[in-house]
Amino acid sequence: MKRPAATTDAPVLTAERLSVRFGRSIALRDVSLAIPRGRIVSIIGPSGCGKTTLLRCFSRMNELVSGASTSGTVHFAGTDLYGPDIDPVEVRRRIGMVFQETTPFPKSVFDNIAFGPRASGFAGDLQGLVEEALTDAGLWSEVADDLDTPALELSAGQKQRLCIARTLALKPDVLLLDEPTSALDPEATARIESIIRALSPRYTIVIATYNRWQAARLSDLTAFLDRGELLEYGLTETLFTNPREARTESYLTGRTQ
Amino acid sequence: MMPQGVAGAGTASRAAGERLVAHVLLACTVIAVVTLAAVLAVLVREAGLFLADVSPWRFLTEITWAPAAEEARFGVLPLVVGTVQIAVGAAVFALPVGVMTAVYLHQYASRRATRLLSGVTALMSSVPTVVYGLFALHFVTPVLQVLWPGVEAFNALSACMVVGLMILPTVTVLSREALDSVPAPLLNAGLALGAPKGRVVARILLPAASGGILAAVLIAMARAVGETMIVTLAAGNESRLTWSPFEGLQTLTAFLTQLGTGDAATGTREFQAFFAVGAVLFVGTYGIHMAGRMLVSRSVGRRGQ
Repeated sequence: MKRPAATTDAPVLTAERLSVRFGRSIALRDVSLAIPRGRIVSIIGPSGCGKTTLLRCFSRMNELVSGASTSGTVHFAGTDLYGPDIDPVEVRRRIGMVFQETTPFPKSVFDNIAFGPRASGFAGDLQGLVEEALTDAGLWSEVADDLDTPALELSAGQKQRLCIARTLALKPDVLLLDEPTSALDPEATARIESIIRALSPRYTIVIATYNRWQAARLSDLTAFLDRGELLEYGLTETLFTNPREARTESYLTGRTQ
Repeated sequence: MMPQGVAGAGTASRAAGERLVAHVLLACTVIAVVTLAAVLAVLVREAGLFLADVSPWRFLTEITWAPAAEEARFGVLPLVVGTVQIAVGAAVFALPVGVMTAVYLHQYASRRATRLLSGVTALMSSVPTVVYGLFALHFVTPVLQVLWPGVEAFNALSACMVVGLMILPTVTVLSREALDSVPAPLLNAGLALGAPKGRVVARILLPAASGGILAAVLIAMARAVGETMIVTLAAGNESRLTWSPFEGLQTLTAFLTQLGTGDAATGTREFQAFFAVGAVLFVGTYGIHMAGRMLVSRSVGRRGQ
């Protein structure tokens, strides 16, 4: 089994022999990798390779799908996320996830951002928390004057930044981004990428992306998944310039999709 | 060998056959349209004759219906109030139960429970309303009379409860459709923000489906307004203006059944009055139904991303 490549940072998330099945089909097979704290890690690979499934393992989202079963372990700061005493609701508060589809709730901008903190019983300065989250997601200057605007009236790019802000308002330790720019135009994509870069020292970020160049631009480490298996994982620069596996190379050079 | 002429004849006869099918289908459509037009024409003509005689204002605002009195009175208001009472009362019973059943089926029920409940819902829809009416009269009312001795033999409460039961499948099925139309990623996003399922249901699922649920209730209320048998059997058929749920009442539809008794001679003002009441009923149910439809299309538009 290929081991996580050279980084001396302490891992915040560690998957060991992680496998996921949906009914009879295997989505993820024996994946082991460690996500170092404070870094950006990209998961790339052809569509259907298990990127999203792997990401969803980290926030225990797969178990919401009927017929899904997970084996192996995921440790988060030393705790087994799938342990018997672990509440998945609590896991999702610590490990936030943003989805491919923009999913603003049919509420105001403010209520969208305040949704997570309210659900977890936040009793502090909600106004300040909302402002901070929107600022971190690069949306504050655009919505500051009208936080009561229905979130559905925002542009596609703004909606996705709203979704990022909504997750940031929970102050998670890890931010999981599932194809965060796949539905956006190049300008909105560039915007999101610069936000991700700005967040990176403070948050550990894991991005699933079909866009290998986005991985190259953004991430410190890159994992290449193919048909549910982790084929290669290492420093982004090394993986892109000198891939160890032939299949990684053919994917990166565009010979396979 | 197949001579060319045969193929040609086949094509011609097939074309003739298709024309015939098209004509038969058109004839069926015409029957429906002509029938609807005839119904409306009769309704408008008779109601028009009536309203030429009795002022629309008096018809809509007077509180007594006494066509045989020396000074005949044709106040439709008690019937409208009775009808509204039944429709709103039925909705009060059917809304919470129907919506909660729909949420259960959508979010919590196992496949087996869903199958079972779908069967029960289908069965409930196929019970004849006269059976519901007898149930109201011989079971619900006696129980109510034990609980509240002041309840009359014919009362609005029993009618409301059982009409509510009758429209329950409509509310459940249409609410379920409204819930189904909420995009799953929206709910996943709520759960991914660390909200417990109950909170996601209450704060995201139900608000996002609220337009569709309201429409479901309106469409079910339109059915309640049109319901005759249960109301006649459970609430009696006496026209009086009352808001008390313990007393009997008369609705527009229950009143209209009296036309069948043949007491009103054709062409008399009393006879025409039935059609005026029918027109009020038609406008009411059509209005509620259209409002429901409008809400459905608006809520779909609002959710579009």
